[in-house]
Amino acid sequence: MPVVPKSWFVAGSIFGAIAWGPAAARSAPQVQQSPADSVERARALHVLNRLTFGPRPGDVDRVVAMGVDRYIEQQLNPEKIRDDQVARHLARLKVLRTGPEDLARIYLEEQRARLERQRAAGPDSVADTRRMLPERQDVALSPARRLAGEFQQAAVVRATLSERQLYEVMADFWTNHFNVFLAKGADRFLMPEYIERTIRPNVLGRFEDLLVATAHSPAMLFYLDNVQSVTPGARPPQLERLERARRAMARGRPGRFPGRADPRQLDSLKARIEQRIPQGLNENYARELLELHTLGVDGGYTQQDVINAARILTGWSMTPPPQGARFVFNDWAHDRGEKVVVGRFFPAGRGEEEGEELLRFLARHPSTMRHVSAKLCARFVADDPPDGCIDAGVHAWERTGGDIPEVLRAIFQSPEFWAPAYRGAKVKTPLEFVVSAVRAVGGEPDTTLALAQVVSRLGQPLYLQPPPTGYPETQDSWVNSGALLERLNIALGIAAGRAPGAVVDAQALIPAWTDSYELADFVNRRVLNGTASLNTLRVMREQTADLPPDRARVVALGLALGSPEFQRQ
Amino acid sequence: MNAVDRRVFVKAGGLALVALGVDPIFLTRAAYAVNRRTGSSARAKTLVCLFQRGAVDGLNMVVPHGDPFYYRERPRIAIPRPGANGGALNLDGHFGLHPALAPLQALYHNGSLAIVHAVGSPEDTRSHFDAQDYMETGTPGLKSTPDGWLNRYLGLRHAREHQDTPFRGVAIGPQLPRALRGAAPALAIDNLQAFGLRAPEPARDRLTQAFEELYQGSATGLVATSSEEAFEAVRMLKALNPRRYEPANGAQYPPGPLGRSLRQIAQLIKADLGMEIAFADVGGWDTHVNQGGSEGQLAARLTDFGSAIAAFTQDLGERMADVVVLTMSEFGRTVAENGNVGTDHGHATAMFVLGGGVKGGRVYGDWPTLDPAQRFEGRDLAVTTDFRDLFAEVLTGQLGVAELAAVFPGYTPVRRLGVLG
Repeated sequence: MPVVPKSWFVAGSIFGAIAWGPAAARSAPQVQQSPADSVERARALHVLNRLTFGPRPGDVDRVVAMGVDRYIEQQLNPEKIRDDQVARHLARLKVLRTGPEDLARIYLEEQRARLERQRAAGPDSVADTRRMLPERQDVALSPARRLAGEFQQAAVVRATLSERQLYEVMADFWTNHFNVFLAKGADRFLMPEYIERTIRPNVLGRFEDLLVATAHSPAMLFYLDNVQSVTPGARPPQLERLERARRAMARGRPGRFPGRADPRQLDSLKARIEQRIPQGLNENYARELLELHTLGVDGGYTQQDVINAARILTGWSMTPPPQGARFVFNDWAHDRGEKVVVGRFFPAGRGEEEGEELLRFLARHPSTMRHVSAKLCARFVADDPPDGCIDAGVHAWERTGGDIPEVLRAIFQSPEFWAPAYRGAKVKTPLEFVVSAVRAVGGEPDTTLALAQVVSRLGQPLYLQPPPTGYPETQDSWVNSGALLERLNIALGIAAGRAPGAVVDAQALIPAWTDSYELADFVNRRVLNGTASLNTLRVMREQTADLPPDRARVVALGLALGSPEFQRQ
Repeated sequence: MNAVDRRVFVKAGGLALVALGVDPIFLTRAAYAVNRRTGSSARAKTLVCLFQRGAVDGLNMVVPHGDPFYYRERPRIAIPRPGANGGALNLDGHFGLHPALAPLQALYHNGSLAIVHAVGSPEDTRSHFDAQDYMETGTPGLKSTPDGWLNRYLGLRHAREHQDTPFRGVAIGPQLPRALRGAAPALAIDNLQAFGLRAPEPARDRLTQAFEELYQGSATGLVATSSEEAFEAVRMLKALNPRRYEPANGAQYPPGPLGRSLRQIAQLIKADLGMEIAFADVGGWDTHVNQGGSEGQLAARLTDFGSAIAAFTQDLGERMADVVVLTMSEFGRTVAENGNVGTDHGHATAMFVLGGGVKGGRVYGDWPTLDPAQRFEGRDLAVTTDFRDLFAEVLTGQLGVAELAAVFPGYTPVRRLGVLG
């Protein structure tokens, strides 16, 4: 079957006709296809729906021509795929050419300037009410805001234009699995480095390496507060030096702090440092590491395991932003006692290395294999992932030590992946909807940052999901009446070529037709890949029959992109 | 589709989906769609939540002028005692309103406005992001709670009463706030006038109709039920004709986002669309620098805040009997002013409860005093009322919720304030 039947409520007698898709619905002349062709086309469409951000015009033919299995293999080896067009688009984005030190500097300078402006403005100035709503774009963007906008746009450009589609789908998946919230303090400037140097190099590597990389990233450690997790009572060496100097001073001996001869100065410095040093254990990162990143909420750990994991990770921190916000292991903050996490014993007296050992232990734990495989199956197969698919992923994980392409290959080869019931059954997320719509009409992002904002308007501002769960994958989170109307507006906008952020040549896509039957048929084949239901074809015909050609084209395309069929993949 | 068709469809579609192992949430929502009241519903009780994002300085909003430490710690920004020039508006001899909140003073004295002071979260975070998240999920300390407390309330009612209108939970703004996100349907409306398809008339009507036909005939599952809700909402709002709305009783909303939001909320309440939860944000409270005293930055925000709420009350008139307004903010600010004549992130703050069943004219909650020995971590106003105690009481009193455990999982209210009923 090419598609899951979309019209259960239509009388049973035409059920079969719909299930067999467009062929039965067409009245205009068409190319004859053998049943084998149509099975292969359906397979190609399914793979394009799931492994990519949606087919472009002609993609189904191309995949059929090269062979569906070969296409999957190609996508699993992205380094062999040329990707020039996306590189040209990305070259315009300054954020990708700005190093972490420069980004930090830009943000910190801007913060300082804002503070000074507020100081100078006097008591009548109005507070910046937009600060709490980072997803809102102002007309005149500050340099830092512009860079953040560019970074969101980079994700949309890559999703739309990259030939390495599976790689981009997985980049989105892992970004979400290891979610970080861009608008939390230092993460405003740490995010690009996090995505470019922590996530993307490991997208199709080994899960273990990806996990270890995220655990070392200042972005994650700051987001989940591990930077301030210290063993209770720990004091930084700086403070102890200061105290020694103060005692020496009290005994009338010259201190070792030249330039701070005054004991009152020393005391005030000490008070300032004391106010800033963290007070004790912070379990946030350790908890999410077990619950979300590895074992899963039912993965068999206890609150004591969370505490002990947090103890192992005490001292995993970052240098202050003015000093680069780099990863640092603070030996003074580390808990050197013995610990047990999920049955694994960690002897006393060890430092940074036991953290890495914990991460590798967690990455190889059976609960982790199951939890992450289930999430992958939820993404690629069904919101409620079938067991067979999860098992296939787990077996491949066991066999290969968590090699991500091997796990994916096993999922793509599982019978559940191909089961007719799951084809065309997943509702697109806002990112998937917007990107797939632009791709479906052969469009591309323009040179503004607007397309990423369209995704935001649908409720998925990229890198701006506050909770560590990341954006949900299930339909109930994305389908609601307000969001649906917004999708229709975006569909109409893209069809009319007036959507902010996308360049679309509708005329090239649908050049000429003789009557509304042929128009509906063209749009169904070129944009919906033959998935339109009888009802959708009828509405397209009826709505375009009395319209002048340009308007008819726009309305037919808008109805197609806004159709219920196109909301699913 | 008429009701009968819809029921048949739900039955057939539901079975098919069960066979496919599709999430039962669709079935629940489909059931609401079937049983939904259409058109004229009874006057619903409404809870309006206003979130002061950025952490409002509760100590200058509701001034503890009877606490000697207040004036000691705030030499440059304290609000003078009642009676002095620019002084606080006395409430009960101990507390006073910021003078910019003059429009709310009469509401306090006529008993419709109650204040809860020293209210906040048991969590010690001073991060806006974490604290807002905790307040909106209603689960302080638990970061991975997927849904908001208001959404859980909506879901609870769904299961019990099987009735729904698309307007049961509405946030004014471009996106649903965390408090309203979750499995139960809720609507984010930025602008009532622009709700629906954006196209010039008459193309707009025709396109709306076309899409409605498309979805009636081709959609399944959750997409189908949501689309029904969407088109129904478009029709209901069109009938409402928001462009021609005139506030009643001479109410004048201040210009600015909050006035705009409350004006639209008033309109929805008067239209009897079955709205139970309305939500709006109001920003600009993060006053680290040059906060000002009786005048200045915070005073300007409070002027807007107070006059918008007062206009809303005036506009609704006797209809306020069905409405409760609850204000909230993620935390309060430091007791002591800082080196920039502002205040930094603190702990407890003050919240307002206003409306029909409210036993107003009182400041509720234990006052921990501003004595440094009584402060949280030696610097901030301590929390004596868990915000969930207040939220739970408002839900029970205004909307009759009995199953509080479903809305605030893992929490048993510590004490009843008696603010409502």
